[in-house]
Amino acid sequence: MPTNLISPAERDYILKGVEANVRADGRQRGDYREVSIETGIISQTSGSARVKIAGGTDMLVSVRAEIGPVLVDSETGDGADKGQIICSVECVPSASQGWEGRGADDVNNELSQIMARILSSGNAMVDSTSTDASSPSATSKPSSTPSSKGGAAGIDLSKLCIIPGRLCWILYIDALILDYGGNIIDALLMGTRAAIFDTQIPKTQLQEFGDGQFDFELQDDTEDMVTIEGRENMPICVTLNKIGARYIVDASPLEELVTEARLTIAVNKYGQVCGLQKSQEGCMEPSLLLEMIQSGKTMGQALIKQLDAKIEAEAATDLSMRMQGKPPQKYGFFAQ
Amino acid sequence: MDRKRVAGPENAVAPLVEYPKDQLRWAPQQEHRHSSKRQPEDIRPIYLKTGLINQANGSAYIELERTKIACGVYGPRQKKASQLSSFSGKGTLNCEFKFATFSCQKRRHHIRDAQERELSQVLSQALAPAVRLELFPKSVVDVYVTVLENDGLAACLAAAITCASVALAHAGIEMLDLVAACSGSYMTVPRNALGQPQTDATTTAAGASRDEIWMDADLEEEKHEDGSIVLAYMPSLNQVTHVLQNGRAEGAVISQSVESCIEACNKIYAVMQHSLLESITNGKTQ
Repeated sequence: MPTNLISPAERDYILKGVEANVRADGRQRGDYREVSIETGIISQTSGSARVKIAGGTDMLVSVRAEIGPVLVDSETGDGADKGQIICSVECVPSASQGWEGRGADDVNNELSQIMARILSSGNAMVDSTSTDASSPSATSKPSSTPSSKGGAAGIDLSKLCIIPGRLCWILYIDALILDYGGNIIDALLMGTRAAIFDTQIPKTQLQEFGDGQFDFELQDDTEDMVTIEGRENMPICVTLNKIGARYIVDASPLEELVTEARLTIAVNKYGQVCGLQKSQEGCMEPSLLLEMIQSGKTMGQALIKQLDAKIEAEAATDLSMRMQGKPPQKYGFFAQ
Repeated sequence: MDRKRVAGPENAVAPLVEYPKDQLRWAPQQEHRHSSKRQPEDIRPIYLKTGLINQANGSAYIELERTKIACGVYGPRQKKASQLSSFSGKGTLNCEFKFATFSCQKRRHHIRDAQERELSQVLSQALAPAVRLELFPKSVVDVYVTVLENDGLAACLAAAITCASVALAHAGIEMLDLVAACSGSYMTVPRNALGQPQTDATTTAAGASRDEIWMDADLEEEKHEDGSIVLAYMPSLNQVTHVLQNGRAEGAVISQSVESCIEACNKIYAVMQHSLLESITNGKTQ
């Protein structure tokens, strides 16, 4: 965080403002700042997105698909037919005063771990309880392992396997935080969703040489790529900051300094909670905790809808530009 | 890659061993819980003792069957030069969470890895609301947690929070309340119509399974879980100091698991109070 200094007057102003449902920039407690997203701006990656929140937060999320060996659990044999997702987050030292030298190490580690937990643990396939989700893989699960463990945040990892027991796609999700203006975690997960939606990986064709020998061929046709299966089931995050007896979303840096406790709630589009984490050195009553989870859930679902509309609109304009034979128009780093 | 072990040839295979039938791997449908005496809401028996480490200002040792954790508290003492970079009117709670190299199924390294660093952070966030840090500005309280045996990660973190909180109290550091923590795992247990645990694995259908919350799951149970929650709670103040959940679950399941965790924390609180009282009476007789 930038400097951890805030004057008593500023603190009081924010506290009373939150109580009265008016914040310094005119927002109400449950209002987000404007978020702008642009996808496909880094040519070297399989998918990329840049997320900006109007107050200053600015980040780049890139997805790189690389071929690597599968990770098999030596005891249970799990993971032989699954791809992997590896997350890392880096805060640029120039973005904030507190991130000079090794100052960002803790923040980097915390954010990477949160992302890894939300994206790669137990969030595999959507339950049969969700009516609008068809999950054929849920019924064909081996009966010895009734858990949906090993999947990632809705992404169908088994589709990322190339040769079972040997090779798979590894998705490296790397985020670079270029500027700090509060509410990094939410922006991070929004960026990840946008970048995964932008990701295309080459098709592979399996060849059999007999006696159990396999090899594969990469099809280098850039027009004929596949998207990531199950990407629409990925969760996003809503971070609620408890200030006084109330809580707010999308806190600015100053508001984050007044925050007593922060609760990050990961939600998918079916309204299922995919992760919860409290941070900062404060506490809350159990009733408030449950209330925060509930409102985080409803806000998250609405946010996913808006985000998907944004991503789809951009993909549609890109496509129409390509149809006309023009390169898609990207603002890149000149965007304001 | 562990260089200290003989790896064997590249194409080596594990020996085929035929296990006797009664040594089959445990799975949720075979019996109710891994330890058959436990009900879903039961936690393992706790052994908690203070004053294990002589050199520390306060210490505690906790054992929940095969989860064994030692914790030492030093301070409040002056900040080290490397920590002095920023002035703070409040004291700092510095927690270090370390798995012993032999504590897990895979060998851990001596150097703290990313997971241990995160757990350290979680530990300090869970304990900080209880400690009156404003009483010792410019100083630091060091909490060192060493996991001797790890039997389930979520349960291990919960036990570490409980243990560290007792050690802080034993060190005589002023606190608002003790912090008790408990873990719960979301399990999908296949069952037939009679409500009996199913033994025939072939008829497992989504409709026959039931979601349950198993408190304080051990390592075997954790392998089959859909997700887990760790909740740290101050029973006298009725405040949640930390919550860490992973895996996908419906809102109702989350609320239910929060409630069961709070209930279990109240039970753990009694054990914590008992061990602290015991440390005082023992001190008098010596």
